[in-house]
Amino acid sequence: MSKWYEEIDRERKNIVSSKVRLARNLKDYVFPSRLSEKDGREMVDRLCSGLSELDGHEGRSYETVNLETATDLERRAMKERRLINTAILNKKAPMAMLVSEKEDVNLVFNGADHIRIQVLTPGLHVSEAWKTASQVDDFINARFSYAFDEKYGYLTTYPTNVGTGMKASVIVHLLGKKFPSMISDMSRFGVTIRGVNGEGRENYGALYEISNQKTMGQPEWELAELVGRVAVQLDEQENQVRSMALKSHRLEREDEVYKSYGVLKYARRLNMKDAMTFLSQLMAGEADGLIQFGETCSVYRLMLGIQTASLQRASSKPLDRSELDVARAEYLRGRLPELR
Amino acid sequence: MLCERCKIREANIQYTEVINGVKTDHHFCIQCAKEMDFGQYSALFEGEFPFAQFLSALLGGEAPAEKVDKYQQIVCPTCGMTYQEFVDNSTFGCADCYDVFDVLIRDNIKQLQGSDCHKGKRPAYQSSGSTEETDAERKEQPGPGDGSAAGEQPQISPEEKIRALERQLKEALRLEEYETAALCRDQIRALKEGMRTDV
Repeated sequence: MSKWYEEIDRERKNIVSSKVRLARNLKDYVFPSRLSEKDGREMVDRLCSGLSELDGHEGRSYETVNLETATDLERRAMKERRLINTAILNKKAPMAMLVSEKEDVNLVFNGADHIRIQVLTPGLHVSEAWKTASQVDDFINARFSYAFDEKYGYLTTYPTNVGTGMKASVIVHLLGKKFPSMISDMSRFGVTIRGVNGEGRENYGALYEISNQKTMGQPEWELAELVGRVAVQLDEQENQVRSMALKSHRLEREDEVYKSYGVLKYARRLNMKDAMTFLSQLMAGEADGLIQFGETCSVYRLMLGIQTASLQRASSKPLDRSELDVARAEYLRGRLPELR
Repeated sequence: MLCERCKIREANIQYTEVINGVKTDHHFCIQCAKEMDFGQYSALFEGEFPFAQFLSALLGGEAPAEKVDKYQQIVCPTCGMTYQEFVDNSTFGCADCYDVFDVLIRDNIKQLQGSDCHKGKRPAYQSSGSTEETDAERKEQPGPGDGSAAGEQPQISPEEKIRALERQLKEALRLEEYETAALCRDQIRALKEGMRTDV
């Protein structure tokens, strides 16, 4: 079965993916930061066995992954695929993950919070992602009692998550827009925006993640709508900028896109910066109809695939920097479809 | 611990008195506290005034230096986290920390979140007991059901009923449905009366 990031959703051409995350804690255990190893193990075991019936729920089959014994490389690769976050990259404690076959729904146990429910979708589907997350949430809640307070809502390790425990986010591809100036304005709308692969000019690939700033005082659907609305705004603005550029500089734009394709398709070595920059051009070019692939291909999927840990994992031996560049070029040559 | 005045009800108010440097602790139930004279704080026990604000008012009356000292001594009895640790890491150690540090953090949370009151989803299944029982109890149910929380729990304690009614009351007030609100208020009153005669 294909992964969620291999699917393509073109309804909004600059919106790459949507995500909803819910942080939940059980009533009977102290939060992970104060949880003893013994209690942590007991809790993770109870969660894994108590939620075994999740397999098959809503037509998804799940696999259990022991995060405690997962190697550093495996964890980094999971982080690149957005299954786990940086906070638990180096955490040494009993931890487990339930992940659906498509990797669109996953649960992490004993990370920063006892349970982290996450739903990922291609395209703009924040509200749907919230509904799916909420169903999984109900499923868990039918078996385990949550730490919930009448006033503060769902109690979480971080005060920044308390209330709904929800973070809704959308990744948008913003190549044309002059960005830094907008970042400070965003907080006025109650959302934050950050570069997916770094800040400012270092954000190779021009992917930006928009997410809700606050988790309390607004119901989940409102947060989902808010993030979705801002994403749509950015998508439309980006479209305007790009169509203007297309009108006045069509040849230059085409040249950039085809050059990018050429390099990606035929280069023998590609560092991260170049690969991401060219893929970003290709993504925009394809969205604008300047270039057509012979078969469907998710450029976002390629962006995930060329990340260091993913390449490293596919290789049989440890790779140094220049070997990685070779592997990256090889990966892209193999995956990039011919043009129509 | 029982209330030291009536010796019948559970004491849920701790009153610390410092007179000429001599500290004495008193434990009262809310009913007795209402009947007693706490000077300017008496009003706190009338109606639905949150208890925590009582503490806040007391702490707020002190000199800042003393205040900080006192804060740092606050320890969560469940997970052993101190206020200082909370300040240093900005993380909570357990669910009870929210209660223990409530007075100290509510302003921060409000600042951080722009609100200090959760709106939105509530757990459909929530028991006052441990999850062990609910686990066994609910094994039979394949899914989250139709979401009617009331049907899932035949044994609702009066406290929970009151809480549910209070929520309804708030909602009714928000929608300006004063008749429903009055109904809720009366039911809450009746329930509270009932609880009092029970003990």
